[in-house]
This record gives sequence, C-alpha cells and structure tokens, in this order.
Amino acid sequence: MIIEPRLIFHYAMMSPNLKNNLVIFSLIFFILFCASNFPPVVSFYYMEEAHALLKWKTSLQNHNNGSLLSSWTLNNVTKTSPCAWVGIHCNRGGRVNSINLTSIGLKGMLHDFSFSSFPHMAYLDLWRNQLYGNIPPQIGNISRLKYLDLSYNSFSGTIPPQIGHLSYLKTLHLFENKLNGSIPYEVGRLCSLNYLALYSNYLEDLIPPSLGNLSNLATFYLYDNSLSGSIPGEIGNLRSLSDLELSNNKLSGSIPPSLGNLSNLATLYLYENSLSGSIPCEIGNLRSLSNLALNNNKLSGSIPPSLGNLSNLATLYLYNNSLSGSIPGEIGNLSSLSNLALNNNKLSGSIPPSLDNLSNLATLYLYNNSLSGSIPSEFGNLRSLSKLSLGYNKLSGSIPPSLGNLSNLATLYLYENSLSGSILGEIGNLRSLSDLELSNNKLSGSIPPSLGNLSNLATLYLHENSLFGSIPCEIGNLRSLSDLELSNNKLSGSIPPSLGNLSNLATLYLYDNSLSGSIPSEIGNLRSLSNLALYNNKLSGSIPPSLGNLSNLAALYLYENSLSGSIPSEFGNLRSLSTLTLGYNKLSGIIPHSLGNLTKLATLYIHNNLLSGSIPSEIGNLRSLFNLELNNNTLRGSIPLSFRNLTSLIRLRLDRNYLSSNISESFYIYPNLTFIDLSHNNFYGEISSDWGRCPKLGTLDFSVNNITGNIPPEIGHSSQLGVLDLSSNHIVGEIPTELGKFNFLIKLILAQNQLSGQLSPKLGSLAQLEHLDLSSNRLNNSIPKSFGNLVKLHYLNLSNNQFCRGIPIKLEELIHLSELDLSYNFLREAIPSQICILQSLENLNLSHNSLSGLIPSCFEKMRGLLRIDISYNELQGPIPNSTTFRDAPIEAL
Amino acid sequence: MAPISLILSFFLFISPALSTNSEGNALHALRSRFKDPTNVLQSWDPTLVNPCTWFHVTCDSNNHVIRLDLGNSNISGTLGPELGQLQHLQYLELYMNDISGKIPKELGNLKSLVSMDMYQNKLEGEIPKSFANLKSLKFLRLNNNKLTGSIPRELTTLSDLKVFDVSNNGLCGTIPVDGPFRSFPMESFENNKLNGPELQGLVPYDFGC
Repeated sequence: MIIEPRLIFHYAMMSPNLKNNLVIFSLIFFILFCASNFPPVVSFYYMEEAHALLKWKTSLQNHNNGSLLSSWTLNNVTKTSPCAWVGIHCNRGGRVNSINLTSIGLKGMLHDFSFSSFPHMAYLDLWRNQLYGNIPPQIGNISRLKYLDLSYNSFSGTIPPQIGHLSYLKTLHLFENKLNGSIPYEVGRLCSLNYLALYSNYLEDLIPPSLGNLSNLATFYLYDNSLSGSIPGEIGNLRSLSDLELSNNKLSGSIPPSLGNLSNLATLYLYENSLSGSIPCEIGNLRSLSNLALNNNKLSGSIPPSLGNLSNLATLYLYNNSLSGSIPGEIGNLSSLSNLALNNNKLSGSIPPSLDNLSNLATLYLYNNSLSGSIPSEFGNLRSLSKLSLGYNKLSGSIPPSLGNLSNLATLYLYENSLSGSILGEIGNLRSLSDLELSNNKLSGSIPPSLGNLSNLATLYLHENSLFGSIPCEIGNLRSLSDLELSNNKLSGSIPPSLGNLSNLATLYLYDNSLSGSIPSEIGNLRSLSNLALYNNKLSGSIPPSLGNLSNLAALYLYENSLSGSIPSEFGNLRSLSTLTLGYNKLSGIIPHSLGNLTKLATLYIHNNLLSGSIPSEIGNLRSLFNLELNNNTLRGSIPLSFRNLTSLIRLRLDRNYLSSNISESFYIYPNLTFIDLSHNNFYGEISSDWGRCPKLGTLDFSVNNITGNIPPEIGHSSQLGVLDLSSNHIVGEIPTELGKFNFLIKLILAQNQLSGQLSPKLGSLAQLEHLDLSSNRLNNSIPKSFGNLVKLHYLNLSNNQFCRGIPIKLEELIHLSELDLSYNFLREAIPSQICILQSLENLNLSHNSLSGLIPSCFEKMRGLLRIDISYNELQGPIPNSTTFRDAPIEAL
Repeated sequence: MAPISLILSFFLFISPALSTNSEGNALHALRSRFKDPTNVLQSWDPTLVNPCTWFHVTCDSNNHVIRLDLGNSNISGTLGPELGQLQHLQYLELYMNDISGKIPKELGNLKSLVSMDMYQNKLEGEIPKSFANLKSLKFLRLNNNKLTGSIPRELTTLSDLKVFDVSNNGLCGTIPVDGPFRSFPMESFENNKLNGPELQGLVPYDFGC
C-alpha cells in the first residue's frame, strides 16, 4: 500500500500517551474513519494519480500553452484532487475512473503516461488529438478498462499484444492512426468486445482467425488498411455482428460462405480488395442486410439469385468486378432497394423487366456490361429514379417513351449502345434532368424541340448518331447548359443564332455534320466558351468578328468548311487561345498581325486557304507555338527574321506558297522540330549545316525551290530523319557519304538537281529505305552493288544520269521493288537474267542505255510486270512471249 | 462511424478525335492494336488533319492513303476491321512481322488493292472469302503463316492475280485450277495439308478439309 507514511506519522505522535486507552481507541477510530471518508486523509491515492497525470502533462510538447489543461495544477491545496480537473472523472472512492480528453489538441506521446497508476480506470478516450509514438505495452495494465479510444491521432508502431489483457474491454477504437504490423491474435481474447474499429491504419498481414472468438462483437471495422490473405471463415461465428467492414485492403481468396450465418448483419462492406471466386449464395441468408458493397474486387461467376431474398437491402454495389451471366430477375424482389450498381462487369443477357418493381430505386447503374435486348418500357414506373446509366452496353431497340415519366431523373446515360429510332419528345418532360447523354448510338430522326424545356440541363451529348434535320432553336433556351455536343451526325440547316443565349456554355461541338449557312455572330456572346469545334461542315460566309469576344476560348476548330472572307483581326483578342485551326476553307486576305498577341497559341493551322500577302513578323512573338501550318496558300515575300525565335516549333509547313527568302538566313536551330516542309516555293540560298543540329528532325522537305550549293555533310547528324526531299532545286556537288548514317531514312529524293560524282557504297546501308529517287542529276560511274542491300525498296529511280558499266546483279535482292527506272544512262553489257527474280516488279524501264546481248527470256516469268521499256539499247534476239511484251507499244521495244 | 462514400467512376469526358479523316482514324485504330517496340509508328500523330505525312504511309494527290509499308518492322499484335476503311489502298505491306490472329474479312473491301504482302507472320484462321472482291489484286503473298481451312474457290475470279503464295501454312482441301490458278507454280502451295489440284467434276471442292 502506498498510504503508509502518513499513518506512521500519526502513530508516532501518539505513542507518549499510550496510557490513555480511551484516547487511543478514539484516535484509531478517528483514523479509520478518516481513511474511509475524509478526503484530506486519502490524499495519498489521488496525489499518486495527480502526479502521474501532471508528469504526463509536462511531457506534452504543448504543455506550456497556458490554456491547455489549465485546471491540471497542484499549486492550490484545495485543488490537489485531480477529480475536478478537466477531462477527469473519479469514482465515489475518489479514484480516477475516466479520462476523456477528446479534440483538445494534445501533442505528445504516451511514454510518460503511468498506466499502472490508474487501476480503477474504466474509460480512456483520447480521440482526435495529435498524439504520436508507440502505444506502450503497459496499456495492458489498466485491467478494468472497458472503453479505449486512441483514434484520430498519429500513433505508429504495432498494436501491443498486451492489449489482450484488457478482458473487460467493450470498445476498442484505434482508427485513423499510423499503426502498422499485424493485428495481434491476442485481440481475439477480448471476449467482452462489442465495438472494434482499427480502420485507416497501415495494418498488414492476415486477419487473425482468433477474432472469430469475439462472440459479442457488433461492429467490426478493419477497412482502409493493407490486410492480406483471405477472410477467415471464423468471422461467420460472430452472431452478434451487425456491421462488418473490411473494405479497401488487399484481401484475396473467396468470400467465406460462413458469412451467411451472420443473421444480424445490416452492413457488409468488402469492396476494394482482390477477392475472387463467386459471390456465395449464402449471402442471400442475411435477412437483416441493408447495405451490401462488394464492388472493386475480382469476383466472377454469376450474381446469385438468392440475393433476391434480402428484403431489407437498400444498397447493392457489385460494380467493377468480372461478374458474368445475366442479371437475376429476383433482384426485382428487393423492394427496399434505393441504390443498385452493377456497372463495369461482364453481365450479358437482357435487363429483367422485374426491376420495375424497385419503386424506391434512386440510382440504377448498369453501364459498361454486355447487356443486350431493349430497355424495358416498364422502367417508366421507377418514379424515384434520379440516376440511370445504361451506357456502354449492347442495348438495341428504341428509347421507351415511358422514360418521360421519370420526373425525378437527373442523369440519363444511354451512350455507347446500339439504340435506334428517334429521340422522342417525351424526354422533354424530364424537368429535373441535368445530364442527358445519348451519344454513340444509331439514333436517327431529328432533335425534338421539346428538349428546350429541360431548363436544368447542363450536359447534352447527342454526338455520333445519325440525327438529321436542323438544330432546334429551342436548344437556345437551355440556360444551364455548359456542354453541348451534337457532332458526328447528319445535321443540316444553319446554326441557330439562339445558341448565343447559352451563357454558361463551355463546350460547343457541332463538327462532322452538314451544317450550312454562316456562323451566327451571336456565338460571340458565349463568354464562358472554352472549346468551339465547327469543323467539317458546309459553313460558308465570313467568320464573324464577334468571335474575338470569346475571351475564355482555348480551342477554335473551324477547318474543312467553305468559310470565305478574311481572318478577323479581332482574333488577336483571344488571349486564352491555344489552338486555332482554320485549314481547308476559302479564307482570303492577309494573315492578321494581331495573331501575334496570342501568346498561348500552341497550334496555328491556316493551311489550304487563299491567303495572300506576307507572313506577319508578329508570328515570331508566339514563343509557345508548336505547330504552324501555312501551306497551300498564296503567301509571298520572305520569312520574317523573327522566325528564328520560334524555338518551340515541332511542326512547320510553309509549302506550296510563293515565298522567297534566303533559306540559310531565315531559320535557326529548333531543338524540338520533327517536321519541316518548305517545298514548292521560291526559296533560294544554300542549305545550312544547322539543320544537322535539329536532333528530332524526322522530315525535311525543301523540294521544288531554287536552292543552290552543296548538301552539307552535317545534315547526317539528324539521326531521326525519315524523309529527305531536296528534289527540283539547283544543288550541286556529290551526295555526302554521311547520308549513309540515316538509320531510319525511309524516303530519299534528290531528283532534278545537278548532283555529280559517283554514289558512295555507304548509301547501301540505308536499310529502312523504301523510296529512292536520284533521277535527273549528273551522277556517274557505276551503280553501287550495295544497293542490293536496300531490301525494303519499292521504288528505285536512277534515270537520267550518267551511270555506266553493267546493271549490278545484286539488284535481284530487291524483292519488293515494284518500280525500277534505270533509263537514260550509259549502262552497258547484258541485262542480268537475275532481274527476273524481282517478282513484285510492275514497271521496268531500261530504255536509252547501251545494254547489249539477248533479251532475257525469263522476262516471261515476271508475271506481275505491267509495263516494260527496253527501247534504245543494243539488244537482240526474240521478244519474250508474255502479255506485257505483247501489250507493249512497239516504241518500247 | 464514418459513412463510406462509394465513388462510381465515369469516363464521360472523352475528348473528340480531332480528325475528320476516316483513313487516319482507321490507321490510328490499327496502331492501337500493335506493339511497336522499335517505334516505327512514332510519327503517327492522330491530331493531324490527315495521315499523309506519317511515316510508312503514302497518299495520292487527293490525300487518300494508297500505300502502307510496315514490312519487317518488329510489329506484333492483330489486324482489325478498320483496315477495310482504307478504300484507296493499293499496297498493304505487312510482311515479316509478328502479327497474329485472323485476317479480317473487311480486307475484302479494299477494292483498289494491287498487292497484299502478309507473309512470314503468325496469322491464323482462314483466308477470307471476301478476298474475291479484290478485283485489282495482282500480288497476294500469305506464305509462312498458320492459316488453316481451304483456299477459297472464290479467288478463281481474280483475273488480275499474277503472284499467289500460300506455302508453309496449314491449309487443306484441294487447289483450285480455274482462272489465274491455272498458272501458279506448285511451290506456291507446298508445305500445307492440301490434297493436290482439284479434279473437276469428280471430287467436291472441300473434300478432305
């Protein structure tokens, strides 16, 4: 006992008066009386408890915070009992039996908490503080503890097995901490336990089967941990269980059929695990069940019809599994059901009409399955339904008009099916509808004007159907609309100006239709618009300058129409614009200088129009520009020097204009450039060696210009080059050996220049080459034998050069060659008979050479040969007997 | 106890494929079926208006795809029906790859096809009867695959067919003798389970297959 010192003091004081027995008796009586009743005398109990509490208080990091536990103090004699301290309750004997310090911001550890000082404590609640460190094993010493809640703290480490000593414990709450390790099997000894909540920790390993001994357990929460292994079948012994939540772990194996014994179970959550196998039909025995969520597992097999027995079920979530088979009609018996989600499975067959009995159903998600057949017209009876998603299935037939009765419906998703027929006007009755998605079906007919009644509609997706007719002007009444997608239909007529009323519209997609007329200037009123795509229609007239008001516009797609007039200079106000595509129209006039203000512009496509004038130097301000296509216009003048600033460029097309610039001065180094086409212009000057410093360059096309000088050998450093076309220029000198380094070169076209010298055998190492045209140059000497290595070649043209010697035999390796033109050279000797091995050859021209000897008779076996010309040689002998020769004009022979 | 919010994920915000070019879309769909370890399809950018600047794709002057050259390109995967949308395709060169699965019957829609080279792959199943629609076909090389079934008799109507090779497959039945099959060499049929040339009027065409 700890009370001795004070007793000894009293006896010592009395010893001189031992003669007076009465006094002694009275004193002893007094002492005994005080010991049992008078607080001043029992102070040694609570001093111990008070000191233990104060010691722990001082260990807290924030104990100096004046307001924290301010009543916990000994400096006033009348307050030496902790029983009056905040959060402390004592029993009638003055012993601490309850500590309740929830949500008061305690910050610290439990290491200095003397658990053994509180033998009478039944209740310890430290919920929602900032306590951390391990849970000390001494916690097992509070042997009378009935309630322990350390949840919502930052405790780490493992759960001490000593917790199993707390045999009176009814509540164990350790949730929302950072506890790791496994659940000690000793928890299974807490046979009084009613409430077990260890959720939201980092607990791992198996669920101890010993937990199956907790026969009084009512709630069992282990969710949000990393528990693995299978669910112990022993859990089926917990007959008092009403709530079992093991969701969001790594549990595998199958669901134990013994769970079907839990006759009091109201909630069963096993979702977000890796549970496999089929759903045990015994689950159908859980007559008290109101919530069943097995979603996000790997469950397979079919849905047991026995689930139809769960007459109290309000929520049934089986989504994101691999369930197959059809939806059992018995589900229609679940008259209490309000949420049914079977989406993202492999369910097939038709939707059972019995579902129309589910009069309380608010949510019905069957999307992303393989359901077929039609939508039961009985669905019109589901008056409580607010969310219906049947998307991504194989549903056919028409949309039942009865759906128009679902007055509470907020979302209707029928997208990605094979629904046909027309959109019925009854849909316009669904006044609560905020989201209507019927896209990707086979719907035909016109858009019913009644859709204009859906005043709450925020999303309307009708794209990718076969809708025709015009866009009803009533769509302009949908003031809540933020996303309107009617693209990829057969809509015609003009765009109704009323769309300009849709002040909340962020996305307007009308592309891939047959819309005609001009773009209404009212579209410029859509100040919230960020995406506008009208491409691939038959829109004509000029682009309304009002579009320049769309200050939030990020992407504007108007390509493939018949728009005329000029590009409005007001486009320069579209400061949010990152994509502007106007290609394939009839736009004329100049490119407005104001486009240089669009500093966020990443893609500018104005190709295939009738634009004239010069390229504004302001384009060079667009430092973010990745893609610039101005090709196929009538642009003149030179490339602005500012183009040297466009260092972000990935793709540049200026081809097919009348541009004239010194090509060596207009460009610089573009580290990200993959594609450049300057062909069909009047560019002059020499090719800069800097092009070899564009490491990502894949296509370089400078053909049909007035370029002079040599091919710089440094160009060989562009190791990704796939297409190199320098044809129809005035390039001189030899073809640099360095071109043989292009491991990825597919197409090499250097025709119609003044290249001279002999070909390097290294060109034969271009193993990926499919197309090689060196025709009309001044190349001489022999055709390298190494060309026989170019086994992917299907086109080889070396005509109009000065090649001499014989045709190399190795050409026989070019088995995919369909066109071979060696005409107009000085080739001598006989045609090698190996040429007949070229079984894919369709066109062969060997004319205008000095070939001699007999015409190889094996030509007869070249069955694919369509045209042959061997004229103007010194060949002799019989003409081979094949249709090609018989059909050839006499001049070709 | 904290109620659990069950989030039902939707994938509704599918951005539009900003290409009106059905041929580009078809090629892009084909790409998605392929494994391409050497990145030969890297330049296939679906956001471009047409596929005419993609490597290994050749267009005519109307921006229609006329050649697809992916021979010997380390490609594996399967072919899909979308290939049938390349209405102007003349040359389909997919030889010497690791392509498996069946030959889609939709390839029979390629009315302009001159050459189909799919030899040395792992193609299985039958030669589609729809190939009888390829009236311009001159070269058909399907050798060194795992094709089974019989040689469709319908191919005898391909009057332009000049080169035909189905050797080294698992084909069975008899070899047609009509039309262009009059002149194909026996090497084109060897290493199959074929029963030799059809004996007209005596044996049913599919005998023993």
